[in-house]
Amino acid sequence: MNDQADLWAPMPHPTGFSATFWDHADKGELALPKCEACDALHYPPRRFCPECGGDALTWTAMSGRATVVSHSTVLTSFHGQDWVGQLPYVVVLVDLDEGPRMLSRLVGSDTIARGDRVHVTFAEVQGRRLPYFTPEGAA
Amino acid sequence: MSGRDAIVLAGIGETRVGKLPGLSSVELQAEAVIRAVKDAGLALHDVDGLLNLGPYVQPSSMFATTLAEYLGVKPTYCATIDVGGTVTGMTMIQNAIWAIESGQCEVAVCTFGENALTGRAVGVQGLKMDNLLGGEEWEEPFGVQGMVIPYALLAQAWRDEHGTGDADFGAVATVTRAHALLNDNAQMTKTMTQEDYLASRMIATPLRLFDCSLVSDGAGAVVLMRADRARKLGARQVAVRAVAQKTTHNSAAALPDIADLGMAEAGARAFEAAGMGPEDMDMLALHDAFTISVLITLEALGFARPGEAGALARSGDLSLGGRWPLNTHGGLLSQAHIGGMLHIVEAVRQLSGDAGKRQVEGARRALVSGNGGVFSVCGAMILEAA
Repeated sequence: MNDQADLWAPMPHPTGFSATFWDHADKGELALPKCEACDALHYPPRRFCPECGGDALTWTAMSGRATVVSHSTVLTSFHGQDWVGQLPYVVVLVDLDEGPRMLSRLVGSDTIARGDRVHVTFAEVQGRRLPYFTPEGAA
Repeated sequence: MSGRDAIVLAGIGETRVGKLPGLSSVELQAEAVIRAVKDAGLALHDVDGLLNLGPYVQPSSMFATTLAEYLGVKPTYCATIDVGGTVTGMTMIQNAIWAIESGQCEVAVCTFGENALTGRAVGVQGLKMDNLLGGEEWEEPFGVQGMVIPYALLAQAWRDEHGTGDADFGAVATVTRAHALLNDNAQMTKTMTQEDYLASRMIATPLRLFDCSLVSDGAGAVVLMRADRARKLGARQVAVRAVAQKTTHNSAAALPDIADLGMAEAGARAFEAAGMGPEDMDMLALHDAFTISVLITLEALGFARPGEAGALARSGDLSLGGRWPLNTHGGLLSQAHIGGMLHIVEAVRQLSGDAGKRQVEGARRALVSGNGGVFSVCGAMILEAA
């Protein structure tokens, strides 16, 4: 299990549009684009709504609460030496209560099961805050 | 398509596979093409259609024209096609058929191969592809790179949905290995028992080393032409009864539920177009980048009920001599990973009746499946001995 102080990650390289997602994360907010035309939320963020093609999108705060769809405990680094210090780590696929599915890492626990409730938690990694998930009830 | 104007697969070519140091991707593809053209009873100067996929290990532009120049052929139809997995191979074949039907060319060769094992730049782990699946922004910061973790997420979901376990995955790995042992051109040469499978190290739960396909150098190719010309040449004649594909997503960050993957739709449309069903198939060449790929595909295509694909593998029905022999060449898991091109080569070989000691007796129809990414694009192709 990784203590949050030990977390490492390669930094995302946002586009002009997606930078807003990471700026919200830096403030401890999980915000996703919502289409003004059809109300659809989506992730990963795109400039155009994948439901209707609309380009009027409003960054909308999520509750951060989610349910685990799948998970994997990673025991081998696929990134050369960079990730060796993070092993083992847990990747989670979660469905936000608002609908969209997200891929992230589990922190604060090394055990998780399908259907478990989790919530977003932001941890500082190299000067940015990244959205991870942690089990309900965990710190 | 039928009668004298039908277009058939008339030649196959396969290089050695495994570790082939000193051979470039274009050299490997050229060798496979030359073997396939010779197998069809033609010469290189007869080739006027050339379709390929460039090496993933070293992304290249205009790789079909690179290959044409290397071979000294001057095609009237030339294209590089990148769809994903074996879907690329069957899409090349579909495009070749359209090109011949519309008069763009008469003899089309489709090929893929690369030096993925020995051709990597020093210090580079994995393939030198940027944005493999939209990865840098939404996957890599969370520790997701390459293909094992996305398939591990699918495998865990399949186990949780059906209460299935190690034995199902091991059954696919061992059945495929047993077939590879009958293939002189296979990277894996040792028997694998269920105990061996369970003893292989865990990579990303629930996937072990023996759930994962190989990394390989090598190439494969097939030749298409009109059936009457193939007949005159005394060449193989394997008809393409149907090709169907379905794309649902790309990245692991957008992974749908298993029930929403595109394989079921691709398979249903292929069976409908061919007027056939699973019961009509004599053998299966299923894309097997991971054991879970086979389990999900068997269920999506109707060869097993949801959750029962592992039982099907354990029953012996997927072994040589069973109802639907699976990946008789050893597949990506135990022969070599040439993007699935050798699945197609093997299906044509079997339907031509010259698979030697691993021949499926009386094989007339084969189902070839493919998926690229993490079941992001799915494809199904039905072949029949003409």
